[in-house]
Amino acid sequence: MVEAIKDLYLSSPPVKRQWENFLKKRGIDDFASQETASIDQTIGLFDEQDQLVGTGSIAGQTIKYIAVEDDAHAASGARFNQVVSALENRLAEQGCFHLFVFTKPKYQAAFEHVGFKTLAKTDYGLILEKGTPNIDSYRQGLKQRPATAKTVAAIVMNANPFTKGHRYLVEKAARENDWVYVFVVNQDVSLFTTKERTDLVREGTKDLTNVAVENGGDYMVSYLSFPAYFVKDQDQAIAYQTALDASLFKEQLAKPLGIQKRYVGTEPLSHTTALYNEALKNILPPEVLVEEVPRLKASGSDQVVSATEVRQKIKEEQVNDLAQLVPESTFDFIKENQKRLQERILKGQQINGN
Amino acid sequence: MEIKQTALAGTLESSDIQIMLSEGSDGIHFDLTSDVKKQFGDDIMATIKDVLAAYDIEKANVKVIDKGALTPVIKARAITVAQRALDLKDQPNWEVL
Repeated sequence: MVEAIKDLYLSSPPVKRQWENFLKKRGIDDFASQETASIDQTIGLFDEQDQLVGTGSIAGQTIKYIAVEDDAHAASGARFNQVVSALENRLAEQGCFHLFVFTKPKYQAAFEHVGFKTLAKTDYGLILEKGTPNIDSYRQGLKQRPATAKTVAAIVMNANPFTKGHRYLVEKAARENDWVYVFVVNQDVSLFTTKERTDLVREGTKDLTNVAVENGGDYMVSYLSFPAYFVKDQDQAIAYQTALDASLFKEQLAKPLGIQKRYVGTEPLSHTTALYNEALKNILPPEVLVEEVPRLKASGSDQVVSATEVRQKIKEEQVNDLAQLVPESTFDFIKENQKRLQERILKGQQINGN
Repeated sequence: MEIKQTALAGTLESSDIQIMLSEGSDGIHFDLTSDVKKQFGDDIMATIKDVLAAYDIEKANVKVIDKGALTPVIKARAITVAQRALDLKDQPNWEVL
């Protein structure tokens, strides 16, 4: 039996229709543009009669839209394995050896059978990864807490940019715990770049000796685990993603690193973040406690300090008002780079998201 | 020899083996998935180790997904992945073969 892998060019309407029909018959029916737009390439597996019997796609380093027609004659899963390894080899040719897949719980075994490891699992779905570097090497790259540290806490922040509100949260965690990990969201889609955000968090917390500032990698509030943080989506999708993100944090980071508490700010402003806090409270306890800290209010006002407001002020060129919202290090950075930041906003960088 | 880049060889199809070779810190570390690990796991790892030794690779992480490959197949995939990882694709090392 000779079956061949070929490229499927979805830009051609008949090919796309054939592909959609094939997937629909196998229970995949979400072809919303935000899902399909990220696809880099799609392959099809064709049998001797040139019938489509399997397909899979790559979006960045994620495998998507994978489905195969079961063949009564061949060993079960042969086609599935063929599609997965063809996708892997294509990624390897591009120098990408680390891939992810989102799938339904019933396919967990099929992916584990070809070397994927489950990162997080909920009732609706799971994330698996394969290759290198992986979650183990990520964990090994983190700063080790001193052996004497008994209470360990974590905060995940985008810090776009680092404000007095963030500082207040970190300070409180550092005061109440022996060791604090601050994970900065890695996704580079904010007004301040990942490097700028991380540097400003480092700069703004360098006097706190029990705080380790780390990059959150692919594992915390990334496009991978929580795309709705960056792209507007329905509540249902948000609920599903926040649950995955929270359980990934719990299983792969909190448990191995001995993190007992996660600090979050109350969220009166952002709907998505408020839902995220809810998910954390549902999933992390009892092993990991969630400490929801009331947000810091700007001096002499009732408004909470928020990075959204900081970005608004940059847009409106009222940088001097920022002294009461951000620590000195962030303030100096904004003053120095005011032009560049404003250019980014003019070029279309969204500032009212997260 | 030092591994220059992560490399992948082989497929996940029946009777084949997929090997991923990446830089390691000390020694050769295996992560082997195979339905016949109990019976042939040691043999599979020994075959790959021999090939790596022939290329003077002393430090590496080796991820292996075996789908029932026979020894010559394992050897061929190991040679390919070593050549790719050392960036020697166009200078085959005939003596290893």
